[in-house]
Amino acid sequence: MLNALLLIPLVGALVIGCWPGKLTSERARNLGLVFLGINLVFSLYVLSQFDLSITELQFRESIPWIDHIGLNYELGIDGLSLPLLIINSLLSLVSVYASEKDIRRPRLYYPLLLVIAFAVAGAFAAQNLLLFFIFYEIELIPLYLLIAIWGGAQRGYAATKFLIYTAISGILILASFLGLVWLSGSSGFDYNPTMAHGLPWIQQAVLLVALLIGFGIKIPLFPLHTWLPDAHVQASTPISVLLAGVLLKLGTYGLFRFGVVTFSEVWVDLAPYLAWWAVVSVLYGSLAAIAQTDMKKMVAYSSVGHMGYVLLAAAASNPLSYVGTVFQMLSHGIISALLFLVVGVVYKKTGTRDLTVLRGLLNPERGLPIVGSAMVLAVMASAGIPGMVGFISEFIVYRGSFVSFAPQTLLCLLGSGLTAVYFLLLVNRAFFGRLAITEDRMDEQDPVLPVVTWQDRLPALVLVGLLFVFGLSPSWMTRWIEPTTTAMYDAMPIKLEMSSAHLASPLANASMANCSDGDCAL
Amino acid sequence: MMQSLIELSWLIPLYGFIGVILALPWSFGMVQRTGPRPAVYINMFMTLLAFLHGTFVFMGIWNVGAVELQVPWLQVADLTLSFDLDLSVLNLGVMELSTGLSLLAQIYGLGYMEKEWALARFFSLLGFFEGAVNGVVLSSSFFLAYFLLEMLTLSTYLIVGFWYAQPLVVKAARDAFLTKRVGDLLLLMGVLGLSSWAGDLHYNEMYEWVKTADLSPLAATLLGLALIAGPTGKCAQFPLHLWLDEAMEGPSPASILRNSVVMTCGAYVLIKLQPIVIVSPVGLAALISIGTVTAIGASLVALAQVDLKRSMSYSTSAYIGMVFIAVGSEWPGVAIGLLFTHAVAKALIFMSIGAIINNTNCQDVTELGGVWSRMPATTIAYVRGGAGMVGLLPLGGFWALQLGIDFLRRDHPELAAVFLVVNILTILNLVRVFRLVFLGEPTPKTRRSPEANWLMATPMMALSVFVVLLPLIMMRMALLPPLRYWNPLVFAALIVSGVIGVILGVMTPLNRSLSRSTNKNLRMMQDLLSNDFYTEELYKVTVVFIVRQFSRIVSWFDRYVVDGAVNLVGMASLMGGEGLKYSVSGQSQGYIFTIVAGVSLLGLLMTWAMW
Amino acid sequence: MIQTKPSQVKNVHPFAHYAERILAGDTLLPDTPENVIEVMGALDSYGIVLDFYSINLNHVADTQFLNLFPIFKYFDGEINPGRMWRHFCHDRINYEYAEYTMKAMMWHGGGGMDAYLDTDEFRENCERAIAAKIKFNPVLQIFHRTFPEFLIEQIRQLCYYSGLGQFWRVMSDIFTSLAARYRNGEIEHIIQIVEHIKDGLVADAARPITYSVDIGGKMYDILPPSAGLTFLVDTAIPYVESIFFRGGPFLGTVSYNAQAQQISPDQSRFTYGALYADPLPIGGSGIPPTLLMQDMFRHMPDYMEEHYMKTVRQLGDVRVKICASFQRSMFCVTNAALVGLLPKGAGATEPDDIQANREFLMVWMDRLTTSQLDTVQTNPLGSN
Repeated sequence: MLNALLLIPLVGALVIGCWPGKLTSERARNLGLVFLGINLVFSLYVLSQFDLSITELQFRESIPWIDHIGLNYELGIDGLSLPLLIINSLLSLVSVYASEKDIRRPRLYYPLLLVIAFAVAGAFAAQNLLLFFIFYEIELIPLYLLIAIWGGAQRGYAATKFLIYTAISGILILASFLGLVWLSGSSGFDYNPTMAHGLPWIQQAVLLVALLIGFGIKIPLFPLHTWLPDAHVQASTPISVLLAGVLLKLGTYGLFRFGVVTFSEVWVDLAPYLAWWAVVSVLYGSLAAIAQTDMKKMVAYSSVGHMGYVLLAAAASNPLSYVGTVFQMLSHGIISALLFLVVGVVYKKTGTRDLTVLRGLLNPERGLPIVGSAMVLAVMASAGIPGMVGFISEFIVYRGSFVSFAPQTLLCLLGSGLTAVYFLLLVNRAFFGRLAITEDRMDEQDPVLPVVTWQDRLPALVLVGLLFVFGLSPSWMTRWIEPTTTAMYDAMPIKLEMSSAHLASPLANASMANCSDGDCAL
Repeated sequence: MMQSLIELSWLIPLYGFIGVILALPWSFGMVQRTGPRPAVYINMFMTLLAFLHGTFVFMGIWNVGAVELQVPWLQVADLTLSFDLDLSVLNLGVMELSTGLSLLAQIYGLGYMEKEWALARFFSLLGFFEGAVNGVVLSSSFFLAYFLLEMLTLSTYLIVGFWYAQPLVVKAARDAFLTKRVGDLLLLMGVLGLSSWAGDLHYNEMYEWVKTADLSPLAATLLGLALIAGPTGKCAQFPLHLWLDEAMEGPSPASILRNSVVMTCGAYVLIKLQPIVIVSPVGLAALISIGTVTAIGASLVALAQVDLKRSMSYSTSAYIGMVFIAVGSEWPGVAIGLLFTHAVAKALIFMSIGAIINNTNCQDVTELGGVWSRMPATTIAYVRGGAGMVGLLPLGGFWALQLGIDFLRRDHPELAAVFLVVNILTILNLVRVFRLVFLGEPTPKTRRSPEANWLMATPMMALSVFVVLLPLIMMRMALLPPLRYWNPLVFAALIVSGVIGVILGVMTPLNRSLSRSTNKNLRMMQDLLSNDFYTEELYKVTVVFIVRQFSRIVSWFDRYVVDGAVNLVGMASLMGGEGLKYSVSGQSQGYIFTIVAGVSLLGLLMTWAMW
Repeated sequence: MIQTKPSQVKNVHPFAHYAERILAGDTLLPDTPENVIEVMGALDSYGIVLDFYSINLNHVADTQFLNLFPIFKYFDGEINPGRMWRHFCHDRINYEYAEYTMKAMMWHGGGGMDAYLDTDEFRENCERAIAAKIKFNPVLQIFHRTFPEFLIEQIRQLCYYSGLGQFWRVMSDIFTSLAARYRNGEIEHIIQIVEHIKDGLVADAARPITYSVDIGGKMYDILPPSAGLTFLVDTAIPYVESIFFRGGPFLGTVSYNAQAQQISPDQSRFTYGALYADPLPIGGSGIPPTLLMQDMFRHMPDYMEEHYMKTVRQLGDVRVKICASFQRSMFCVTNAALVGLLPKGAGATEPDDIQANREFLMVWMDRLTTSQLDTVQTNPLGSN
């Protein structure tokens, strides 16, 4: 079953890449849509066949491969990987749909997108450390090329920066995996949550720190994040959608899957510091976003901030916060994909993303009213307005982490407030007011933006729909996640003590005071 | 029949939202050839449906007593969230009030906005308002109330920002959203605390928990403060009050609702939270101080406003300030009476001044005058609204105020005095505005002002009648004290204060020009009040400044330190400057080279593993 | 206005060349094929819409006299389920715009009608009609006694209903006949359009404006013929003044906040009228002329639609484009009115006469400096 999920995009890539005869851009896109459409339908079929009562891995595939180094083709999914797989299938379809109809070199472009879909699905399903790593690395190369060939003016710089960063990330992860297998004396790379149990604390700590930095680059966490804004700004819209919606989740997924339970003894000890790291990342991302004038950069920094919540929830280490960890990944996937899509449409129609010149895009006749409304909803979802998915995922995160780390949670809440600040600046500047797309307001001709087609709107509207579906009925999401995360929590040999539940530490008070001060800033 | 209507009560808050969804084709401009009015009728019909349904349920439970309606929502790990509703007489009464006012405001709005093309969007937002407010009022779960309060923040943003192409509207919408958001976030902290400690967010369970709660004094204080922060923002209380002034940029029919229903809704949540806030004496004291400062301060500021809508909106803040005082001194009955009477009266006043603005294209009281004889419905509405709000004639406001004074004078005579002072100042302001706008000679802008159209005049007349009947309704709902508790001293004090207010209002010299006083002290006072104690400047030099500076520092740090370091390392590394240039060149060879390099790196690592 | 020597005026005034154009028999709007299509398309549809508006305004004035609940005032007496359904679906003319215009005209005042409404004679006319109307209505009698100006002010408003209805009747006929000539191929240049409108205005200049209502089978004069109100001076000129020039601030673009002081306390300094308005926000919220543009859109001639289909957004931004075209056509109407009002006539040849004409035009050019006149000199909006 899972093989098919990997094979469909891969075959699609091969078919488009090796299409005999002339292949127009439009036809290549249609082929990609067909393959990814089948892929999505198939993922939903997998979803329907998924048995919620089993907390073990399901749909296992096991083929011995290079047995002597312990590399086996081991696949399986549980409630942690299943939703991520679905969102990967969905967003890769969206990104192909949102691609320009007359893209340059379609024979290369679409296969690369499909390869990403393949590799990411592989990484989410892989149950062999080395296999995971291979998929993790495979996804880098197409992404690098997609930025380097189809990107903006500074694409070379951004792509190389991305490659260097993620290569380092890969090396650290590989080193940690190798060390884990070697130290635990395991016979192969097949993953087992208890692998590290019994290792000395310090060995575990080194391995975990390597993983933290490795995945921390991918997530990304401050100060490992600088590749992300550059990559986003240079990447074309579909690539940004994939990058923000799915690829960043590989980092949090990897950390959560391979770090938390495996190294739980160290994890619990490091948890307060990790929570502080999350605070720094959240506030740093949010504050940096306020100062941006490029819409896409603002959204990219917002991503840095919002991915910090995932780390906060993972650090809090209790059954609720673990649900929050996964839920926040998914909700961020939907929201950030939507944000990048809309920013992409704005850029395509106006030729600029500069917040100092864009005005009044909500103009119902000459502007982008429907896309603009989607933007308003997306930023409100991101700022955590109830009814949309961002609120409930963040609420679960906060509520989960509050009992473990009250001060850190309250500081992260400040990040939610700052999100409202920068996104409101964005909407107010670019979408409200009298329509303008250049500095020169009294231009003889008023701006005439190209027609917004349903191709521009449809993906955004689909994601808006998802915002509301999961925002109003979050149990449709949590029911998949909860059994697995609870099992993961139960599998931890050492649990985090919920000492700060009663605001006993003086830090808690200080942070509360800060919050009220800082909040008034808004 | 009645039973199933009660069981279907969860529909009452949903009607508004259903209207919004049904109106989408028009609000999104999908319908091009015909106009937006069907969306208006749909939303009005939904509001009417909610009102009728509410009426039936109200009659149904009148004899049976309160009914609790379970609406489970989310159960995950140790977190249980529900949208349960509490169908009590009081809740349904407030809900009927808000739905009724909403219906009247919508009819009025159709008249006021008849020349508006974006009617669908406007009425959808009103429907959204109505649904969310009903949900907040009926909720028995604090979580649902919080959920909907935040949605109200969003709808405030959208409705204040309705005329989004107007610069001051844009600013007003932003400020309204952010100020309310401050309160909401602090409230969220309170929700998190309660949810973690009490474990259940139902009001009744929380009331039980409070009795045995073992919180440290600090935690209790912080909890109390967090809980009152939300209503402080929603009800435009000091220091989060400025947004209401700016929100007057929004359409008048929305201002009617904002100054009555939405304020009531925020304060109603506070009343429900009051039994929890008592864990913190500091919280109660804060409530009283916020209320006192706002009640007196806003009443004074109202006197210095030249803008018709703003002078009335400050008076709203002042009245809700008295509600805060009542809640803080643990007299929820007084708070409810004040809310009820104020909501009706203030809605009527706003309808009246909306009619004047619609006729004259002007909100500046110094440019208005002499409309009374030509606009009877509007004049009657203003007079009845004003009389119904204050303590002078035996209308609603009188009874609410006298009850408050009667209760407060025992333990807090100074707070009773605050009520009297607010009464004087409010009457003074109402009389001042009345003289400026309705009396005197017609000005160029009021020279031709025929009475408002029937869609506006009818709700005004209906509500005028209701204001007069309100004391009877209050008697029916046992909100008036029985005869034997009537205190002549309190009555006398209230009436005397009212008369003083009228006399001051009649005697004050009116200045129709904008010129400021020549007396230096008086001028400073005038400026201070008309600029709302320079609150905006205060925000600017404190919080706005801090956030802006922090974001600048972080941005600089990101650019020059974090990224700078990376680029420095990158320059020095093997793939330094030249290497970068090659890969930018766009040559396929470059990409193939990179792929080969990547794959061999991978292979190298894997073979290394074999060693 | 300060007296300035002609040579100085010519050099100093930025809009002097427009005055020279009119004196030379040229037009304010450049004579290009696009402009002819746009102006004709706008006037063609405007003529149809004005016909509807005019019929309805007159209907309200004649049949809804002092009806305080005129629920069916837009039905023109034709109250049946089909028409109700179309009204429910908003598949109808936006008569609200006609009333909006009427109110703006009433509010700004000016002209003989405005003056007559304040005379005692008018008050007596009203009292007679009111007495007849509320004979059997004690509630209204009490209201009338308590609020003596209430019903009289309502009648003043009805006078404007009637006055504007009569004015638009003439304008609609002018535009409709112009459109017929255009379809016959008689109109090829802007100057012909201006001439046609001017001739129409001049022909009806002295047409009397009167208003009387039928109460219980008896006619009551409200604006009697003896008041001497005429088409050009008492409706056309106040209309141009209050709608083309002054207008009212749009809630969608101007703040009513008294402290912001964006709206002038002096109405004569308003420049929110049709010649000044910015077409770009049309279609958004708080922009009343959108209603007119919608009505014109629904009665747009085919050639106009074809013309718009050549633009980038085709019919996607049609209301903005109609507004821009409409503004161009209104400059033609202004042009016609100015030519018609020239003190020494359009064909003046004596230098002194020309000078008098020039001075007359310069007063108007002063007022037009902040209008969109410069903008309409370039290519039509959005057709590139």
